[in-house]
Amino acid sequence: MMTAADIGTFSGATLRLAMPLALAATGEMVSERAGVLNMSLDGMMLTAAFAGALGSWATGQPLIGLACGLLAALVLALWQAAMSVTLRANQLVVGIGFNILALGATTFLYREIFGAASRDLIPGFARWPVPSLAELPVLGPALFQQTALGYAGLALIALTWLVLAQTGFGLSVRAVGEDPRGAEKAGIDVRRIRYYGVLYAGAMAGLAGCFLSIADIDTFTEGMTNGAGYLALAAVIFGGWKGWRTFLACLLFGSATALQFLLPDLGVNVPVAALLLLPYLLALFAVAGLVGRIRPPSALTLPYVPGR
Amino acid sequence: MSDIVAQTAPRRRRLRLAPLIPAAAAAGAVAVALLLVAATGRPVGIAIAAFWDGIAGSAFAFGASFDRAITLAFVGLGFILAGRAGLTNVGGEGQLAVGGIAATALALHGAGDLPRMLAPALPLVGGAMAGAVWGGVAGILKVRRGTNEVISTLLLSFVALQLVYWCVQSTQLLRKPQTSDSTLPESLDVPDITQLPLLFPDTGSPLHIGLFLVLIAAAAVAVVLTHSTLGLRLRAVGLNALAARRAGINDRGIVVLALTLAGALAGLAGAIMIVGEQYNLKTDFTSGYGFDGIVVGLLARGSVGGVLVFATLLGFLRSGGISMEITAGVPAAAVLICQGLIVITIAGSAILGDRARGSA
Repeated sequence: MMTAADIGTFSGATLRLAMPLALAATGEMVSERAGVLNMSLDGMMLTAAFAGALGSWATGQPLIGLACGLLAALVLALWQAAMSVTLRANQLVVGIGFNILALGATTFLYREIFGAASRDLIPGFARWPVPSLAELPVLGPALFQQTALGYAGLALIALTWLVLAQTGFGLSVRAVGEDPRGAEKAGIDVRRIRYYGVLYAGAMAGLAGCFLSIADIDTFTEGMTNGAGYLALAAVIFGGWKGWRTFLACLLFGSATALQFLLPDLGVNVPVAALLLLPYLLALFAVAGLVGRIRPPSALTLPYVPGR
Repeated sequence: MSDIVAQTAPRRRRLRLAPLIPAAAAAGAVAVALLLVAATGRPVGIAIAAFWDGIAGSAFAFGASFDRAITLAFVGLGFILAGRAGLTNVGGEGQLAVGGIAATALALHGAGDLPRMLAPALPLVGGAMAGAVWGGVAGILKVRRGTNEVISTLLLSFVALQLVYWCVQSTQLLRKPQTSDSTLPESLDVPDITQLPLLFPDTGSPLHIGLFLVLIAAAAVAVVLTHSTLGLRLRAVGLNALAARRAGINDRGIVVLALTLAGALAGLAGAIMIVGEQYNLKTDFTSGYGFDGIVVGLLARGSVGGVLVFATLLGFLRSGGISMEITAGVPAAAVLICQGLIVITIAGSAILGDRARGSA
């Protein structure tokens, strides 16, 4: 039987597992709306997870860790933007290159600094229960006992939707991704907006990475993103480049992963490995099932040469 | 008119620069890696000596380096074959994984009873077929649903890696019978008779007949790409699918076929890893060869000879990196850093060619 406690645990785990995906996917959605695909999302998350853990471990301050994580992801994003926007590199290929580099660099530094099999706990963000809401039955403990990073992340996601849909800046972003030539004629600096898009994707991927290493399990392991960046990319496609649908896609992937905590409690005996591959399989079905009915930004992955 | 001018004049410069880019990128990346080694405070000389020992320090090291190159070459060949049709197959890792699963299953159940000549062949064929299915699915999704093959092959890779984990965790699948709590989650060893014959068994070199298989595959891919109608069709679809369709080519069929063949080559490589080197199935047995194979394919820029050269180079890099980690304590991840830098540099320098053609 499914009890209220089961539902609470399950929804808590779902949100916890969906958060890094949702942060990264929301940033990536903005960048893709501006026409730049960041295949390097996974690498940016991993880099931030490492830099965040390192900063927090060295200073004992999760906040300084967060700053380090953000900075590292932004450096990578700036490099990626220079490659994709200015040098017009193939966005798929250059992104894969960044992912290889990020895996290599974080593994190298982790072994050098922490040692091969460190089990050190990293100082992480404390949980902040919202008074009274956290005591609500069933969902209260699950939803209202986030870390500061969790609340801030949710707020940022909502803010992003608002800015993209309702402001002039959001309109510029969408224009640059749909019709860069027209946008330029209207006086928009296409490449500048695209730089902003990639940097925003980097910052959000940075938050996502830090969420993994200093606001969730409070430790770093080699290659700890385990393809989360690719799931986030799939969520953007599944979400049809729309904010709230992308968020729902992330919740879906999160819940698929969270099943591994729910099902054993319900006495359902499913191999863990089967549950581990579920989110990827779901993402594959999602991407295959919906593309065709929804349309990506017209200029996605197409570099732009000003003034031609 | 302006197009013609733009096309003729600077093109010569592009032709001269193009072959130099991978070499320059590789040299720069190696320099960065050496700086990293120096930065760890370990003597660079010892690290380089360890690196060299790992490549050619013994018959074992030399053979193992070539075994690694064989795997990379198969994946790279698949990458450029699909690339000819304008497709980016980044699913090598998953295709290796399913190839390895199929090969292990067939070697443990059935192939052991076959005569010596056939026993290793069955796992190889099964591995290639499993890889073909894994690649073909991405092809079908592309032509039926318009799913970009990059995202589908990547997701399929993650599914396949978890399938390997599942297979070695469950005794109902391929995990060896659990005799105690310490029984490792891996399959039984494949029977001796299914293992690939070694080329130099007396020297301790693990080099196996996969070397011939990869050379045959390379020759076949070269012939297909340059001297066959299939090669022409692949190229036509890669250049302009719509124009190819107007010319009567079944462009959708070509897309599925290209990814199927790429998957088959990688699947075969996965099978060779099992019956040629590792002899049983373990979690993460593919250890990134599928991703390194993409790098090989990218560096080769569509040339079969290039695949063989860069597969050897990266196979050696990997061997050297592992030895450097064991002997000199320098993390082998330095090799990954090198590879990442090479890919980024080459992708970033493509503009040298594009600018010459005068279009984005």
